[in-house]
This record gives sequence, C-alpha cells and structure tokens, in this order.
Amino acid sequence: MTTTSHKRKWILDLVMLPIGLVVFFPFYLIIINTFKTMQDATRNPIGLPKEWILTNYVQVFEETALLRSFGNSLTITIFSVALVVLIGAMGAYPVVFNANRITKFAMLYLLAGFMIPFQATLIPLFQLMTGLNLIDRLYGLIALYLNGSVFVFFLMMGYMRTIPRELSEAAVIDGCSVWGIFWRIIFPLLKPISTTAIIFQTMWIWNDFLAPMLFLNSSSNSTLVLQIYRAKGEFTVHWPMFMTLTVITLLPIFLFFIFMQKHIVKGIAAGAVKG
Amino acid sequence: MNKLKQQLQFQSFLLPILVVYTLFTIYPLLQSLFLSFTNFGGYSNIYDFVGFKNYERLFVDDAIRASISYTLLFTFGKALLVTVLAIPLAIILDQNFVTRNLHRAIFFFPSIPSGLLIAYIWGFILAPIGSGVLNKILNQLFNVGAQPWLSDPLLAKLSTIFVATWAITGWHAVLYLAFLQSIPKDYYEAASIDGANRLQQFRYVTLPLLAPAMTVSVMLLLTGGLKVFEIPFALTKGGPGFETLTVTQVIVQKGITEAQYGLASAMSVVFFLIVLVIAIFQVTMMQRREQDL
Repeated sequence: MTTTSHKRKWILDLVMLPIGLVVFFPFYLIIINTFKTMQDATRNPIGLPKEWILTNYVQVFEETALLRSFGNSLTITIFSVALVVLIGAMGAYPVVFNANRITKFAMLYLLAGFMIPFQATLIPLFQLMTGLNLIDRLYGLIALYLNGSVFVFFLMMGYMRTIPRELSEAAVIDGCSVWGIFWRIIFPLLKPISTTAIIFQTMWIWNDFLAPMLFLNSSSNSTLVLQIYRAKGEFTVHWPMFMTLTVITLLPIFLFFIFMQKHIVKGIAAGAVKG
Repeated sequence: MNKLKQQLQFQSFLLPILVVYTLFTIYPLLQSLFLSFTNFGGYSNIYDFVGFKNYERLFVDDAIRASISYTLLFTFGKALLVTVLAIPLAIILDQNFVTRNLHRAIFFFPSIPSGLLIAYIWGFILAPIGSGVLNKILNQLFNVGAQPWLSDPLLAKLSTIFVATWAITGWHAVLYLAFLQSIPKDYYEAASIDGANRLQQFRYVTLPLLAPAMTVSVMLLLTGGLKVFEIPFALTKGGPGFETLTVTQVIVQKGITEAQYGLASAMSVVFFLIVLVIAIFQVTMMQRREQDL
C-alpha cells in the first residue's frame, strides 16, 4: 500500500512538471529577453542570452518616468483601498448592530446595485467627472474607486454577524458611545476580513487599466499599467526594452503576492465559502 | 433624547457609502437610461427625445452586433474551458506530491498581473510573422508554416479565449481546492467501506460537494467575462474587422471617442440587462442543480 501511494506521487510529479513548464513559459520568455540585446532577442527569442546584459534596465529607468508612475500607482492604490475598507466597514456597522427599517432599506438599496457593471455607467460617469473637474486628477480616480466599498460592505456584513452582540452591548453599559464602540471594539475585530478586502481591492485597483485610460490623460499622472500601454507605442521596435518595463512593473505585485500568499488563498476560500 | 442621539450616530455611519454609491453608481445608471432615449451630442445642452430609436440602431449597427456576439462567445467559451480545466487541476493539486506547492504557485501566477500585461506578453508569443515565438517553435518542431494567430477571424477568437483561460484557471483551481479541503476524509472512508471505487467516490462524494464551489466560480467567470476588455483590446484591438470587438470597447468608442452618447447609453443599458439576466438565470439554475446532485 505504501509503495503504491509512494509511486503515485512520483507519477504526478512527472506528469505535472512539463505542464507547469508550459504554463510558466511566458514568464520565462519575458524575463530572459530583458538580458538580451535587440539583435540577440530577434535572432534567438527563446534561448538563453548569448551575452547577459543589464543595459535594458538602466535605459528603461532613464527613458521612462517609471518611478513617477510607480508613485502614482502606489498613491492611488493605498488611498483607495484604505478608504474603501473604512467606508464598507462603517456602512455594515449599523446594519448589523442597529437593525431597523432604515438600515434594512439601505441594505436592499445597496444590494440592488451590486450587479451594475462599471461599463454600464461609463458615459454619464465621464460627464460627471468632467463636471466635477476630476479628470486627470489622482484624487478623481481615488474617488471613483470608492465604488468598491459596496463589495466590501457585503464582505464586512457577513463577518460582523459572527461577532457576539453582547460585546457591543456591554460597552454601551460601560458608557462607550456609538462612535467609540466602532473604533475601539468592532473595527479592530474586523482584521481578518479587512485583510481579505484589502487583498482583493489592491489587486484590482493596482491592475486596473480601463479607468486610468479614461480618466488620466497626462503622462505625469500615469499609473504603471497605463505607462506600459503608452510605452507599447514607443518601444514597438525595441521589444527587449518593453519586456524590461513589463518585468519591472510585474515585480511589486509579485512581491505583494509572495508576502500575502497565505492570506490570498484564505481570502479566496473565505469569499467562496460564504458566497 | 439620548435614544435619538444614539440613533443618529448609528445612521451617520451609513452616510459615506450611500453618498459614494448614489453618486458613482445609481445616478450614472439612471443617467444612462435617460440618455438612451435622447439624441444628446455631448457638447450642447440641446437634445430631443427620440423614443426607442437608439435601441433600434443597436440591432443594425455591425460593430455593436459583432461585439455582443463575440463577448458572449468569449464569456461562455472561457467559462467552459476554465471550469473543465480547473476542477481536475484542483484535484491534482490536492494530492500529496513533491512539487505540489511549486505547482500551486505556478498555476496561480498568471492571475496576478494586469490583463493588459498578460495580453502584451502573449502578443510576442502569438505574433503572426515568422519571428513570433509560437510560430518559431512550431516551425522548428513540426516544420509548420507561420499561422496568423491574431489576424485570422477564427484563430483570433480562439487565441483571445485561450489567453484569458491561461490567466485565470489557476485562480479558480484554488477556489475549488478550498472546497475540496473542507470535505471530511470520513466521507471517502465510508464510501470505500461501502465498496465504492475511486471513480464512484469522485462521482458521488467529490462532485456533489464541489457543486456550491461551481456556482460561485461560474458566476464569477460569467460576470467577469461579460466585462472583458483588456485582453482582446491589447492582443487584437478588436480585429480583424470587428471579430474580437468587446461590448466595453464599443461603449468607450461610441460614447467617448465618437460622442454618440444616446447610442452608447442604449448599449450600456442593454449590457446591464444582459449581465443581470445571465447572473440571475445562472444562480437559480445551479442552485437547483446543487440539490439534484
């Protein structure tokens, strides 16, 4: 019995390794080509570089406003995610701990629009953003991303229902105000679900292309993803350089994944099991 | 008095989310509905109500018709492929083998970068000319001539669906994996004592318990698929012709680039209805099926 199960393990390794290599191949391809000269990459896109060079990395930093775009992406992501988590948690608080006709109506109102895709509201949004003078402003995009708080609201609501009500009732008796209970007792307890919300929102906002493309025009306000889009036009002839830009852009989100790996998998599971 | 103050404090927590949601979701949606019945041009405030004229135009505009049919093909094609691949993948990744964690990471990796980057990376592989990496490999291994992966109508459709599938299958496998791991081992022991073989165990234990995961996964695939934009946009720009044009790209083009607000708004409204109908239909269907299994 032990020998057969031992053997099966090795068979799985043997079957999966070639498949894994094929799945990983695109990543190998872009990484390897960042170390090649233009001629080398054109003649030999698949193999190892004839001569390993680092000039592409130096040149990309010189020729594009990479650090600036990185800063923009970081600013937009941090502020949007923090606000979205806060607004979502705040909204769920009275719905769970002070349920009445008003909160029930508010919940149904939010539920009704849960399925509305961003695309279906795009044209009026464009006019609204123009009217409010929010086009080509980082804070304009942040304001737009606050939409994500509805998704967070439902995550938070599910989680808050598992918090014992006695906790907040005891605090009321102790003379704690409604505000105080939320900030000092409820919000700290939301840490696990906040982590899930932060991960989902970070991945989506950091990677988003449609909203920055529509609402950020100037290159000084470019996000990293938008920078890639613009560079695609400039670097069509020199694709090792374009791949270098791509690899540098991928780096932060992969680091984020590696550090948050455990939470990401848990988050997908939690979201799925609840849904 | 104290009670009232407490109530007011409680309700004030709802204020930010209601403001944001009304301003950036509900108001624009109602505005879309309103604009879809007008001939608003975007620059002046003069417009007329044109009844259902914009909706009628949806059915005769070639680009719009093509975009709806491609978006539906993409959505269902990708959902089907991902589901068929993710379930066996999850079962394999649940087994105990040496490189298991490595493979979990490799299959999850493609779901991390932005769709735009994914598409650009694959753009190099699928490049139609002889220097495209895939064409080069096929040529060296099987001596096959260069294939127009992104410029032939059928191949372009298949390529975009394939790239999207590559990107998201691992993510959905992780979702199924979470459910697999929540199945108690006793169920399998009980089944094997009753004489069920591995295939029967899969059919009568694993599959029914995976059904709720499937409801969630397919729902995410369908709603996400309908909103597709980046991958076809970056790979084919919607071409050749209108063959891989997405609904989102059409809304952007007609509504913002060409300032045909009425027409694009009608498209937005129809799009919202499609998303709504498919989501409701799918969830009720699958929940009924969960009970049958």
